[in-house]
Amino acid sequence: MNELALISDAQQGDLDAFNTLILHYQDSVFNTALRILGDDDLAADATQEAFVSAFKSISSFRGGSFKAWLMRTVTNACYDELRRQKRRPTTQLEPDTEDGEEMDSPRWLADPSLSPEQELEADELEHALQHCLNNLPLEFKTVVVMADIQGMDYSEVAVAVHVPLGTIKSRLARARLRLRECLQGFAELLPASFRLEEGSSA
Amino acid sequence: MKKRDLELLSSYLDGQLAPSDSARLEARLSSDPELRAVLDDLRGARSLLRGLPLRKAPRNFTLTPKMVGKNPPLPRTYPAFRFVTALATLLLFFTVGLNFLAPQLTSQAPMYGMGGGGAEVESFAAEAPAAAATEAPATEAPAEEPSVQMAPLPTESLLPAGDTAREGEAPAQKDGLGEGSAQDEIGLKSEPPLLVPPTWQVMLAGVALFSLIVMLLMRQLAVNRWRRK
Repeated sequence: MNELALISDAQQGDLDAFNTLILHYQDSVFNTALRILGDDDLAADATQEAFVSAFKSISSFRGGSFKAWLMRTVTNACYDELRRQKRRPTTQLEPDTEDGEEMDSPRWLADPSLSPEQELEADELEHALQHCLNNLPLEFKTVVVMADIQGMDYSEVAVAVHVPLGTIKSRLARARLRLRECLQGFAELLPASFRLEEGSSA
Repeated sequence: MKKRDLELLSSYLDGQLAPSDSARLEARLSSDPELRAVLDDLRGARSLLRGLPLRKAPRNFTLTPKMVGKNPPLPRTYPAFRFVTALATLLLFFTVGLNFLAPQLTSQAPMYGMGGGGAEVESFAAEAPAAAATEAPATEAPAEEPSVQMAPLPTESLLPAGDTAREGEAPAQKDGLGEGSAQDEIGLKSEPPLLVPPTWQVMLAGVALFSLIVMLLMRQLAVNRWRRK
């Protein structure tokens, strides 16, 4: 695939050329949206929206990493989706227990389909990781998804998120540490080599 | 753990530190077990994230022209027809405007020339009763009171006598509005021609209409072809 030629054609309005680019990048874009939003349907919506938006503004692409440019578009689409969710909340913010008392743990926020007990018993590492990602602040989550899941280098992430390189380094370090702390709650799911001695990083 | 140390460790893990910074950190790591533990934590988290399976997109996200509000590709000759339509319409309006304004513009210019003529007509009209008076007595009307109604009679009676020179005087005597009627008559005789012949306007209208129809047909065909895709 000659990416530069396809981008150039797409900038001339060639939709077929842009669709070839979409087929190449759609898995990466969808996975980024999925890890940021934590929901398949929302991620699919954000991915579609991101590609529509990308085609409409492709004339603004001035070279560099096309993947980083696309990631920036999908990140914006995810932020829009989260803002929409905030305006139209579908889950009550302070759920009650069966006795009508407020829950102590906020962990339900990460995945409303599971109770805290079910979460602890979850045997899927992926689910545990997504849960921990969901608990991260949005700006940390975006950076860690791009750097560690998408394998983008720091400069690409800086372009995609539109913040200085130093901020990327800082956010990434803190996000990794928070994730590690969160994953301690799923110790039984982790490979033996990743299990922590209690309080090792305190 | 200092924030700065955390950032150094994370960057070190990704090979983003300068060689000198890297060497300094390695020296610290060898003597600081807490620092090593944090490095392991970060490495563990990064490995887990990198190990996450890449999910396949649930469907293809390719775009259709409709999704991006893209217009159907129009034939190359379309802009030419659009230009011709616009030009012909503009010219048509221009010529209509020109023909409408032309009489007003030309009537203003002869007014200066007609100023002298008007005076002539005035004196001419003033002479008329006198002339009528000199000739009218032959029939009847009292000379001291040349009636407006009565005046034409002698003139008519004189006409058959072959005095064609008096023919132009008759209307002036008839209605007693010597100046106005004379001007009207002159105006009728010297009505300025239209600057743009009507046939030209019809042709322009035809061209504009024809190219407009061709444009619409082209667009419709392009849309139909685009929808079938």
